[in-house]
Amino acid sequence: MFGKLAVKNVTRSLKDYSVYFLTLTFGVCIFYIFNSLESQWCMQALGQSASYLVDAILIFMDIFSAFVSVVLACLVLYANTFLMKRRKRELGTYFLLGLPTGRVSLLLVLETLLIGLLALAAGLGLGILLSHVLGLFTIAMFSAYPAELGLILSVPAIGKTAVYFGAIFLVVMACTGFSVSRARLIDLMQGRRKNEEMKERPLWQSVLTFLLGGGLLLTAYAMLLTRGLLRIDPLFFLMLALGTAGTLLFFRSLSGFLLRLVKGRKRLYYKGLNLFVLRQFNSRIHTTYVSMTVICLLLLLAIGVTACSVGLNHTIEANTDASAPYDFTLQNYSGDVREVDIPALLTANGFDTSRELRSSYLCSLRYGTPRPEEAGDPGTALALSDYNALMALQGREGLTEEEVPCLREDPLVTGFSGIGTYRVVSDQEAQGLPVRRQLFVGNYAGDAQATEARLEAVLAQPGFFESGSYSLGSRLQIYLENMGTKLLVLFMGLYLGLVFLLTAAAVLALQQLSQAADDQPRYQLLSRLGAPEGMRDRAVFTQVFLAFALPLALAVVHAAVGMTAANAVIAQVGRVDAAASSAVTAAFLLVIYGAYFLATYLGSRRMARGRG
Amino acid sequence: MDTILTVSQLKKVYGGRGSRTTALDGLSFSVSAGEFTGIMGASGSGKTTLLNCISTIDRPTSGVITVEGTEVTALRGKALSRFRRERLGFIFQDCNLLDTLTGFENIALALTILGAPAGEVEQRVRASAALLGLEKVLDKYPYQMSGGEQQRVAAARAIVGRPALVLADEPTGALDSKSAGQLLRQLDQLNREQGTTILMVTHDAFTASWCRRILFIQDGVLFRELRRGDQDRRTFFAQILGVVGALGGDAADVW
Repeated sequence: MFGKLAVKNVTRSLKDYSVYFLTLTFGVCIFYIFNSLESQWCMQALGQSASYLVDAILIFMDIFSAFVSVVLACLVLYANTFLMKRRKRELGTYFLLGLPTGRVSLLLVLETLLIGLLALAAGLGLGILLSHVLGLFTIAMFSAYPAELGLILSVPAIGKTAVYFGAIFLVVMACTGFSVSRARLIDLMQGRRKNEEMKERPLWQSVLTFLLGGGLLLTAYAMLLTRGLLRIDPLFFLMLALGTAGTLLFFRSLSGFLLRLVKGRKRLYYKGLNLFVLRQFNSRIHTTYVSMTVICLLLLLAIGVTACSVGLNHTIEANTDASAPYDFTLQNYSGDVREVDIPALLTANGFDTSRELRSSYLCSLRYGTPRPEEAGDPGTALALSDYNALMALQGREGLTEEEVPCLREDPLVTGFSGIGTYRVVSDQEAQGLPVRRQLFVGNYAGDAQATEARLEAVLAQPGFFESGSYSLGSRLQIYLENMGTKLLVLFMGLYLGLVFLLTAAAVLALQQLSQAADDQPRYQLLSRLGAPEGMRDRAVFTQVFLAFALPLALAVVHAAVGMTAANAVIAQVGRVDAAASSAVTAAFLLVIYGAYFLATYLGSRRMARGRG
Repeated sequence: MDTILTVSQLKKVYGGRGSRTTALDGLSFSVSAGEFTGIMGASGSGKTTLLNCISTIDRPTSGVITVEGTEVTALRGKALSRFRRERLGFIFQDCNLLDTLTGFENIALALTILGAPAGEVEQRVRASAALLGLEKVLDKYPYQMSGGEQQRVAAARAIVGRPALVLADEPTGALDSKSAGQLLRQLDQLNREQGTTILMVTHDAFTASWCRRILFIQDGVLFRELRRGDQDRRTFFAQILGVVGALGGDAADVW
């Protein structure tokens, strides 16, 4: 009977519970993704080359998980309190019917348990799916990494998630039980009548707080820019504290400041529902400025981490392109002894160059003088036609007859050549110069990895090296060497950035949706007063927009300053490509954050229209 | 005098096959400009349904309602919401004010929804607040006001847009008798001095005694009509009680 009532309650108030349920599901999902990284392919691949990094990342992940679970516990408690507020009348009725306090508590605990179990299952399912999708996505970004990816189930992560959330649920249950046992019937029955206290702070206070917040932020910025990002000492934490406090004060004072500002401009204030929207915003900020700060900082992390990792990745990719103009180069170092028709040799050994290669070219590098053994430094020369053919393969401009002979230093091979500057000479002159080395360059026709494997197999055949001493340089090899461990750390960065972004957006969305549910009677009244639907929709839009845009705006400013400092650090590995990283980060923000914004707006609008 | 409101052959049937409830059964009456009319009836007599139909919140099954010559029952969508905000003012039993706004802003909101020029807003709000003796509570939030003050702010909001008709649904329902008396005195004053046309629904004889004319509704039809004329309020009150007794429902069912 009791269980039945609990189940019925859950299904009946599904609409109220949907906000709560979503919070939990997202929480579980994010938590799982973080903690399953251990079993992800990247960590396993990384473990082979740098296990100390894995340990570091896992420790970091543990600390982070603790932080995330505290945030999530607060979020769940918040959602639960919101739900209880909406059910006060119902609880009052139970008491009125004579149900003892213990049984009402039990009923609520049962409901929480039910919802918790459902959310845990849904969240884990979603988490497993999402971590898989995110894995695939990152692989697609780092195009060259060998992708072998099955659906990975991380058992320890599932266990950890269950334990952490079990603890969170216990806290929620305890809080629920406590609040029920302390509840007074009269408060429950009049639950909806009670209002939050709304104090308008005097102007000077807002201005002072605003200035103080701005000052703190500027101090933190200045410290960051002069000290750099990586000097971790007490001052570093002071800087973080200053920045956080500044952000907090900024948001705390912003609404009052804004209200005062707009109030002074009658045309704006007395237009449509403007004064209603501003008042709504102002009445909220006293309860939401903390979460706005947290969201702003989360967004900052998301932007910073994503931008840095993407920027660095672009830099590495650009480096790779410069040192690998073709898919591969096969150099025959004994070309001065015997010239070999390399394509014919490869074909004869089972690597059909005409089928396997999209384009290729065989040529000779020559000594710079006709009698190299007499010169101190014989130098290197290349025939004009060969040079032009190689440049054409790279998609670059060649030289004309009139321009030679001349000195060039464009890269000629993929991989190591040991050749810096060389002379390009006319074909006629080249005929008189002895061969130094043979180059066979080419681009694969089909799948690069498979083709290269076949090429390597041919080269590995015993006897192949009897015809000369060969050295293979390939773009894939260089790419892997260049990116290797760095890339994997970057992958983590991107992962984290994405999750931060999701968390921030989810928190915002939940907050806005639950507020929209609270606002429903207000919008009903506006409708009764004759405010047309379009006007009400605009009011909803402005509210949701402010909630999403303000933390983002400040986070972008933070990130711009932070990136400047980060650049100095990353410069040691390669400069951050600012344009590319900004573009990619902006795209991420636009898609994920924008989608959340849109969903929140539509949901809030539905509630404001009285259909939710 | 001009007729402000005409209700003719109004019918409202709830429910579908099987369980049909007739809330209004061919009700007709009209209200002239400057009248303070009360509508009385026992619970379930159809008075709230009537008010909902007039205020365009609900749609009648059949019949016609006209306000100042506009056939309200024919309006749809934007025209309806425009009519509501421009021609009608509302005072509800509760949930009247927005709790995030001060008294002043609650009144001003009705004007800004109307699209009144920003320059006029403050002066018009103060004027209508003065009519209801609200100068001192304008800067307070609803939770800082008494129930009576809240209802008076709602009344000020109802008249600030200069509507053709003010509709009041049990405005004293949630008030103690002192606050109720004060609110009714203000409404009466508005009616006499400003010529505001008021239509008030109530089930309380004391509240109704402030009206100049009372329509009694029973089972969805007009049962009786009383006019105060030159009588004082006490006599009128006794007369109302007599009709309420004859109405059945309340005391009469006991015998």
